Amino acid sequence: MRLRLVVSALTAMFFASGNYATAHHSFAMFDQDNQVDLEGVVQEFRFIAPHTFIILEVKQEDGTTEVWALEGVSPSALAREGWTRTSLRPGDEIKLRVAPLRSGVPGGAWVTQQIKFRDGKPVAANP
Amino acid sequence: MLDRSSLAGIVLLTAMTMAAQAHDESKYPNWRGQWSRSTGPAQWDPKKPAGLRQEPPLTSEYQAIWEANMASQASGGEGYNPQAFCLPSGMPRMMIAYEPLEIIVTAETTYVRVDHLSEFRRIYTDGRSWPDVVDPTYAGYSIGTWIDTDSDGRYDLLEVETRHLKGPRTFDASGIPMHKDSETVIKERIYLDKSNPDLLRDEVTTIDHALTRPWTVTRDYRRARDAVWYEHICAEENHHVVIGKESYFLSANGELMPTRKDQPPPDLRYFNRPRK
Repeated sequence: MRLRLVVSALTAMFFASGNYATAHHSFAMFDQDNQVDLEGVVQEFRFIAPHTFIILEVKQEDGTTEVWALEGVSPSALAREGWTRTSLRPGDEIKLRVAPLRSGVPGGAWVTQQIKFRDGKPVAANP
Repeated sequence: MLDRSSLAGIVLLTAMTMAAQAHDESKYPNWRGQWSRSTGPAQWDPKKPAGLRQEPPLTSEYQAIWEANMASQASGGEGYNPQAFCLPSGMPRMMIAYEPLEIIVTAETTYVRVDHLSEFRRIYTDGRSWPDVVDPTYAGYSIGTWIDTDSDGRYDLLEVETRHLKGPRTFDASGIPMHKDSETVIKERIYLDKSNPDLLRDEVTTIDHALTRPWTVTRDYRRARDAVWYEHICAEENHHVVIGKESYFLSANGELMPTRKDQPPPDLRYFNRPRK
């Protein structure tokens, strides 16, 4: 499921000056002013440099599914937040906030502090 | 009986052991451990906000190049930023430490291993002078001098000069450019904070023909003494693709996706050509 958000200045600042400003490339391709909340099922969690990736299957309103490629921070940056390579597993149902690609195709960047399991449990605590 | 190659191996091992013993550890600072950027954001001058407020002392020609880079970025492009597709940052940008640094001090050479993009520096401290001919590299050729500033019998400052660089290089991901001639000279003063041995400082002065004057910034790194090191192979999971001046993004299955509205696909003129 995909919900459009009106993003607070605080969240936009997170992308502009928070941990996303630490990357080796710019994040201008991701629309930080029009973030979306996604709910879906993890197909794959790639805990690999230079950027971790969540491959997420998202159900559309018409019943079809769309697969999103979602870029996160590096493994070492995630590890500092308590994550491991098994924090997410295929089949996990999650909710997360995403700055989508400006082109409107299913890709984007996710915010480390705004991801949880569907039942509200924090992901970083997952062993 | 030992054969000739075994004997040569023993001789080499003995020589290496003697060299290691010649390195008197008590004379050098303890810079072991994992050093991570302490100030968070990755703009070149960590004390100023990213973007125009960095106020780099660029010539008008290079200011215009920088502004064009930022305009490209604003529309989702970053063809000016080769690090996005895994080319090395080079000096001085590699000292931003996007990922942690490891500093290995020996008497003859101090090595700086940079996890990000698997970059590596050799800083020669064996008293050599500049060679007549050096093949330019992204990291450059660095000569350092150890200094005992407080005369306590132990070095506490490493002064480094780096030359013989190649480009393209930028100061940071916003695309602050360095001159196309790559005649950059970088001077550094690297030392531990006097009151905090887990805080390392690098005062970096860049002299470049794109600048109207030398530009000095100080970057800080915090030490983790028992840290985990992650392998960082940029090509392994990099979804950023630059073709010509256009930036694209790879889907979960490796298909090319546009990054901005109405972006043209790459030029496919060489595909599906009839054989002559």
